Amino acid sequence: MIIELFLLAIITLLAGTIVPLLAVSVNRRYIRTISLCCPIFASLFLGALSLVVLFSGETSGFTLYQPITEFSFSFVIDRLASFFLLVIAIVSACVALYFSEYVEHMDGSSRRNILCGFTSLFILAMVLVVSSANSFCFFLFWELMAASSFFLVTFEYTHNETRKAGLFYFFMTQLSSLFVLLGIIMLYLESGSFAIAPIHGASTLPITAAFLVLFIGFSIKAGIIPFHKWLPYAHPESPSPISALMSGVMLKIAIYGLIRFLLDVFTPDLWWGALILAAGITSAVLGVIYALKEHDIKGMLAYSSIENIGIIFTGIGLWVIFSASNLPLLATISLLGALFHSLNHALFKSLLFLTSGSVVHATHTRDIEHMGGLAHRMPYTSALFFIGAVSISALPPLNGFASEFLIFTAFFTSVAFVSPLFKVLLFICLALFALASTLSAACFVKAFGSIFLALPRSPQSEVAKEVPRAMLIGPGILAAACILLGVFSFQIFGIVGFNVPLPDMLLISLLLLGMGVLVYMVLYVTASREVRVSETWGCGSRSQQASSEYTGHGFSEPIDIIFSAIYRTRTKNERVFFDLKNCIFREGTGEIHLLKVFEEYLYNPISQLFMQVATKVSRFQNGCLDTYLLYVFVTVIALIIFLGWFA
Amino acid sequence: MNVDFILYITINTLVVLAIAPLFVSMIKKVKAWTQGRSGPSVFQTYASLRKLLTKEVIYSPTSSRIMRITPLITIASILVAALFVPLIFVPEPVGGIGNIILFLYLLALARFFMALAGLDAGSSFGGMGSSREMSISAIIEPTTIIVFAALAFVFKTLNIFDMVSRTAPGLPAAPTLILISISLFIILIVETSRIPIDNPETHLELTMIHEGMILEQSGRNLALMELAAAVKLTVLMGLLINLIVPLGLATSLTLIGILIAVILFVIKGSILAGIIAIFESSMAKKRFFQLPSLFAMAFFFSTLIIIIEVFS
Repeated sequence: MIIELFLLAIITLLAGTIVPLLAVSVNRRYIRTISLCCPIFASLFLGALSLVVLFSGETSGFTLYQPITEFSFSFVIDRLASFFLLVIAIVSACVALYFSEYVEHMDGSSRRNILCGFTSLFILAMVLVVSSANSFCFFLFWELMAASSFFLVTFEYTHNETRKAGLFYFFMTQLSSLFVLLGIIMLYLESGSFAIAPIHGASTLPITAAFLVLFIGFSIKAGIIPFHKWLPYAHPESPSPISALMSGVMLKIAIYGLIRFLLDVFTPDLWWGALILAAGITSAVLGVIYALKEHDIKGMLAYSSIENIGIIFTGIGLWVIFSASNLPLLATISLLGALFHSLNHALFKSLLFLTSGSVVHATHTRDIEHMGGLAHRMPYTSALFFIGAVSISALPPLNGFASEFLIFTAFFTSVAFVSPLFKVLLFICLALFALASTLSAACFVKAFGSIFLALPRSPQSEVAKEVPRAMLIGPGILAAACILLGVFSFQIFGIVGFNVPLPDMLLISLLLLGMGVLVYMVLYVTASREVRVSETWGCGSRSQQASSEYTGHGFSEPIDIIFSAIYRTRTKNERVFFDLKNCIFREGTGEIHLLKVFEEYLYNPISQLFMQVATKVSRFQNGCLDTYLLYVFVTVIALIIFLGWFA
Repeated sequence: MNVDFILYITINTLVVLAIAPLFVSMIKKVKAWTQGRSGPSVFQTYASLRKLLTKEVIYSPTSSRIMRITPLITIASILVAALFVPLIFVPEPVGGIGNIILFLYLLALARFFMALAGLDAGSSFGGMGSSREMSISAIIEPTTIIVFAALAFVFKTLNIFDMVSRTAPGLPAAPTLILISISLFIILIVETSRIPIDNPETHLELTMIHEGMILEQSGRNLALMELAAAVKLTVLMGLLINLIVPLGLATSLTLIGILIAVILFVIKGSILAGIIAIFESSMAKKRFFQLPSLFAMAFFFSTLIIIIEVFS
């Protein structure tokens, strides 16, 4: 039954890809609706099958097509794969629901059909990556995922910014594929097959090298610092539902790849875990620090994704450390924490991207400084965004807290067991992890406060209107999932069959509710019930003005100053004077730029190096046919000599 | 969830609500003494709260639902957090109540809502308070978590109930506890917005943090916020007291035992309140951007504990 459901899902997604591409010139709503209904139905099938597999724990596999003996298109769905299929299913269904309305408000007439088609293709590719049974198959669909997402990112290709972002994204994603392919080839050389199966004789040099290469490949895709730059470029420029899919799901596919290879192929060393942990913590802290500085709503969410991927990597790193030091219980807690956070991040990040898409749609700006006061104008969207913000800030009793709690618990209990050196490392990481966690709360107080509260700070947000109901259902489901997964987290882990040291969040929620109701009742009986809506104290001004509000910049200023070592700025002053001795000032300009550290000190030097090499190589290409014939001739001769000599 | 635990919830909540305003007044009283004034009565806070309850609530026209639900959520989460620290008797923990991480995050939940309410009315005072509060909470968090991890490490448990009952039989033997109590004291000062971090007595824009956030609150809502702040103070004081001097904690549910425990707790709390007041009086408020170095000191101090623990 599982295989049939899986095939049904694939066929539905293929239909969703093909239908709008066939009817590419028909600029009708129904084409796009049909196309976007396909992911919804496919998600239902996938959700059903993954729940069955998750609960039963059965593994089922099949081969679709075998072109040659060494390689086949075969798929396996086990518990790990089905978990990620569930992530894909929930998010894609909600995004598709939202997208079916959102796409009608976009520009681009019948070109939007292609967008819908590629969305289905993108989801299909992700489903196939997760269920691939061998590494070559994995790579092929990985590449399909990269290519299809490129077309989604560059939908608004007429904008210069989008083109730049798209190219940047394409380059980074191909770099990632390159590393993954290299890793797979290295594994093939080592084991002689493409099967994702354990390699014995661990931690020889080639195997370690293969791990490192795969780790870099997955890190680029997941957006781990310092390979993160594509996220803040690509996310703001792509349509919001696409950002939701990419940030919510695609990053998780990279997580899946890392976990799959670590679990099934390698026998990890202790220091691999330390490496993953260090990468994770760095991303978590730097990601959220950059997010606080960002005032483009989607750029901020992109940096926050980097932070959350860092948290997931932290969990994975702890898992590797604990399993290498023979602490299976703690290892399970950390891995469950990482997996649960993957699911939770997929839910609340796509919720946040979708609602921020609604906000951008209503205000026509992405700058949070030009928003404000939207809580009155868009009550439902603001409530949904709020739930996402509470979840991502890891506040109880919602889901973000539950998964971070598992990782915290792993940290707290681990220190009693590992060696002294690792104790110190773990304590430092714990402190940084806590820092990242509270900074993200600060970041989302700032975001919610500047977007939705107080007075509107621009004419567009003054007249902003609530989005159509169809654009509220998808995020609504995600928000409900965030609440349910948090409140019932203890019960859910019990049902799936893991005994985790999670507090009973249902009890906590009931206590919170009970206390609130009790206090309300007591106040209702004893206190004055008079309420007046009137100007409160405003420092002598007669009425509140938007210009005197605390802005997003103002809010993050203390953190800017405290972390000024990280936010490096470059000041540029140009002054012109009347006299020669520079005494009488005539005019001048002053600029302060935020230094893009990674871009200027890492990306640009490397790209310049490549440009230099490429310039030298390009001398061989002079455009003259004779030269090329000469090359062919020389190659053939060399080949003949080589074969004659060695073969 | 057994009968004992429901009784515990009732008694603990009632006791903390009853005692909390007393400790706030006591700190004020001792501070007044150090300044050579006689100061308000120790029951002044009760009277102020009662007065606030009879006043009407004024909402700014720009404020949203956040402003309206924040007082309730704040008091609810602080009261639930109060259940995590047994003040007078220790039952068997139920369903993860008493977990030290959850305790921290319940305080964070209250802070999150307070900060949003500060931004809600759109006045610059509220925003200033929220911004400072979130920044300070972010930079103190590494210290807090290290201290709590040290506690978990020393006591070999994550549950405050177990920590308190493990030390219950006698006075602390480990010198580590004294070191931890100093760190906990710093956290107490920061979390409850006292000098040298914040000045709980003024509404000056240069100094205020917590008071700035709740500036827009009025009437019964302000009463709830004040009460929540008092309860938070009491709970953190209770944590410190019962970890270091668990003397007198009732282990069984008898009326006499509870009464003795309450009286002992009030005495111990008054002493700690006196210490806090003298500490506050002997300091000036620090400049906001000097706080990170203060926190760095606290951080290295708590890391020192851990290093001593790890390598001893």
